[in-house]
Parts: sequence; C-alpha cells; structure tokens
Amino acid sequence: MTRQAVAADHRAAADRARTIDPSAEVAVAARRRSGRLARLGGVALLVCLVAAWEVGVDLAGTPVWIVPAPSDVAMALRDGLGGLAEAAVVTLGEAVAGLVLGTATGLSMAIAITFFRHLEQAVLSVALLAKSTPIIAVAPILTIWLGFGHGPKVVVTALLTFFPMLVNALEGFRSVDPAIEDWFASVDADAVTVFRHARWPSSWPFLFTALKVSAPLAMIGAVVAEWMGASGGLGRSMWLAYTNLRMPDLFAAVVVLTGLSALTYHLVTVAERAALASRRA
Amino acid sequence: MTSTTDPTDRHPMTHPTHPPTHPRIQAPTPPALDLAGVGHRYGTTEVLDSLDLQVEAGSFVAVVGASGCGKSTLLRLLAGLDRPTTGRITVDGAGPDDLRRAGRVGWMAQRPALLPWATVRDNVAMARRIRAATEHPTDPVPSVVDLLTIVGLAAFAGSRPAQLSGGMQQRAALARTLAQDAPLWLMDEPLAALDELTREALADDLVAIWQRVRPTVVWVTHHLGEAVALADRIVVLGPRPARVVADLTVDLDRPHDATSPAAQAIVRDARAALATAAIHARAGVALGGAR
Repeated sequence: MTRQAVAADHRAAADRARTIDPSAEVAVAARRRSGRLARLGGVALLVCLVAAWEVGVDLAGTPVWIVPAPSDVAMALRDGLGGLAEAAVVTLGEAVAGLVLGTATGLSMAIAITFFRHLEQAVLSVALLAKSTPIIAVAPILTIWLGFGHGPKVVVTALLTFFPMLVNALEGFRSVDPAIEDWFASVDADAVTVFRHARWPSSWPFLFTALKVSAPLAMIGAVVAEWMGASGGLGRSMWLAYTNLRMPDLFAAVVVLTGLSALTYHLVTVAERAALASRRA
Repeated sequence: MTSTTDPTDRHPMTHPTHPPTHPRIQAPTPPALDLAGVGHRYGTTEVLDSLDLQVEAGSFVAVVGASGCGKSTLLRLLAGLDRPTTGRITVDGAGPDDLRRAGRVGWMAQRPALLPWATVRDNVAMARRIRAATEHPTDPVPSVVDLLTIVGLAAFAGSRPAQLSGGMQQRAALARTLAQDAPLWLMDEPLAALDELTREALADDLVAIWQRVRPTVVWVTHHLGEAVALADRIVVLGPRPARVVADLTVDLDRPHDATSPAAQAIVRDARAALATAAIHARAGVALGGAR
C-alpha cells in the first residue's frame, strides 16, 4: 500500500512537472495577444501625442526657442547624432561606474548590519543623512573638490543609488521564510551558513527591485552632476544647448537620455528574469 | 547555487537503485527527556503552566491538544529554540541547548522548510555538512543517495522542492533529518498539511524508519487517530495555559491498527480528557478566571 501511494505521489509530481494543460496554453496565448494589444495601444497614444504637439506648435506659431516641434527635434537628433552618441557613452560610463559603487556600498552596509545588529541605528542614520542631502547642493561642491572630470559624477551617482540598494537588501536578507530560519536554528547553523544558503538567495527579488529603481536613477545622477560643470556627457550637451537657447538640441539630448534610462531598466528586468529562472531549472 | 557535491556522498549522481533494506543508519544513544515544572509565557500570555513530563529514551511520544494550546511552544523549548520562563528541562542530564549545538536535534514542522533554490540532494547534503562539523571522522555515515533511497526519492535527487508534491517534500525533509543522524526527533505536525492517503503512506514509512533508527521522538499533533497509530504513549495537554491532563500508554503490537477496538478505546479516553479539560477551563473563566 505504502509503495503504491509513493508511486502515485511520484506520478502526480512528474505530471505537474511535464504536462502542459491545453487550456493553459490557450490562456497563455490569449494573455500574449492582450499584452501585444496593450503595447500597440501605448504606441498609438504616443504617436497621437506627438502629432498633436506638432500640429499645436504649428497652429499657435510658437517660436522654436520656446517649444520646438517634434520634427525640429528629430532633425536635431539626426544632425547631432555623432556628438550625442559620444556624450551618451560618457554619461553611460559615469552612470554605470556610480551605480556599481553605490550598489556595492549599499550592499556592504546591509550585509554589515545583518551580521552586526548593533550597527543598524548608526549606519542607517548616516545613510539617511546622506540620502536626504539635496544632490543639487552636493554636486557643485564635489565639482569644486574633485574637478571637472568623471570623479564627481561617479560620486553623485553613487550617493543617489546606494540607498535603494541598502534598504531593499536589508529587507531581502530579513525575508527568509520563518520555517527555514527555525530549521537553521534547530541545527545551530552559524550566521555565515544561514546568510549564504538562506538570506542571500532569499534577497534576490529585493536586490533586483532596488536595481530597477537605481539604474535609471544613475542616469539622472550622472546628468545632474554634468550640469554643474563637465567636459563631456549628455548633461554638458544639454547645458550648452540650454545656455544658447538651442531648444531642438536640448530636446534631442533629453530624448537620448530617456531612451537610455528605459534601456537600463529593461536590461535589469531581463537580468532578473534570467537569474530567477536559472535557479528554477 | 553553490557546489552540489557532498564530500561524504560516495555515490554521485548515477547511482543504481540501492536496496533500501541495507541502510547504514543508526542513531547514537537516544536521550531521555525530563521536564520539571516547566512554564512559559509570551509577554503576558501564559502558554504552559508548570508542566511535568518524563520521556523515556528511544520512545515515541505523541503530544496532543487543541490548536493553540502550547504544543509547538513545548517543542521549541525542547529544541532549545526558546527558554522556559520557569522550571527546568534536561536532555540526558544536560540542557536542551547542548544537543542542538551539536546539530543533533531532528526538527520537522508542518511545512517542510526546504530551501526552494536548492535541489533535494543539496537540501539533504546541507544537513549532512552541518552535522559533519560535529561528528567523528570515523563515524559510519550513509550517503545522501542512500538517505534519498530510504525515503523513496532517489529518482528526484536533482529536483527542486517546488517540483515535488507536499508528501514528497516532507519525505525530503525526513531524509534531511536522517542526514543529521539525530538521536532526538522533534516533530511539529509534519503530516498535517498532507492529504489522507499521502499521510498514511508517509506515517507507515516513518514508523518503519523509526523502528530501525530508534531515536527518541516527540510528535506533536491535534489528530488523535494519528497519535494512536504512531506513538507508544499519548500525552494529552489541556487548553492554554497547558498542563498534562492525561497520559495514556498505547500498548499495541506494531504496526498499530488505529481502527482496532483497543486503539479506539485509547482515542476515546484522550477525547474525554480533552473535553473535561475544556469544560474545566470554561468554568474557570466563568468564575472570574480563578483556576
């Protein structure tokens, strides 16, 4: 009887693992179709808005140095592509460097707090102070201290991105299933073992949530710092266009920046899906 | 995840079906438990009230009581996860912490608490690794594959817990307990979340394994039929704050037939004790909490 029940149990699990319910397949297809429709709707809305903008500017006769028409922006984008690409590479490099530094700092702080509970108050107070200081006030000071190079941009970006990682990682490390925590306690596992096998893997979804916030934030950090004085980058391109009232160029830079922010977000999402799938396989 | 190989696992991956009748599992001397006047409270809530209980070495004791009466708390105290507010618990003359610190307390709860990101093999190997830190290098130890064969999961060593049914997950948790070579098993309703057929099958296997390994088992449940089918002795706890209201010996041939008249009589006695205790508790509340 026992063996039969075990065999039935095994069969059920194997079925669960292998069979794809045809009705489920239909549902997936339907969901995919409705997803595609939603995306098409979004694109259509965007096209309508751009068209309304073009027509509105044309009808109202708004001067180009106040609001350029989308066609002006597209032209500026085409003419300035080489310079914008160069600037984008600079900004992207600073943003990535700052993101890596900020993420590493936030993660280290969260790990330190997890192992040494009594550090929590002190570390979080300092972190909150650093996070609450307006970046727009810190950026010029850093430029005076560190010059017009990449240094201040990386530091500003790190200042902006460490906090989401710190709070999310902390939350993630504490999100271990209480039953699993009990089991580790019942075998008197040391803190390093618990961290390695339970806290760290439990925190993955939280770490990716942090990255989804901080990756686009990193682009903003780098650009804001570039506004305060830089020798290159999208922020400098924007500043130059702004001070010369070349609105189409300014808008073109904004379009590139928005695209890059969306791209970094998308990359994090793809990495998240791959990482979480790898441990389900 | 990290490395999947276990240094003590001498039969990696492609191991032929191992005859389950040759397990080299043998628990070291099981401990006797002694609780003297044990009380426990969470904040102002009194959960246990001066509990006296002796558990013989190598016996299988079921602790039954209504939900929320403090059964799980009792188990946590025995494991050394919590400390009693009053009274004293000794495990073979020492504190419960000593055994736990040696990685020698087998702990199974209602949920199997397997690591979802690790394979079944890795989950069992983890217990073996933690245990290996405290064991003698010359101790004979069964391999992870042997343990999975014993619980009937050899073919699922590479699966993740989510790919298994609830019963199979508990089997994996049982293999993990066996990997610890623990002389004391503390079981908190490990069958409660399973369907009836799976529950019976796993209970049969558990008793068979217990008879071979002979650890001391404290099995918490609110299911009287399960208690009489598994245990040598049934300790009935009253409502919170819990104390022992009946202590029944299950003097039946193994495997226990829970449907036999003798077993049914024991179940009736336990039920009567629970009902009486509940009435007393209600009367106590009605009389202004004076107990």
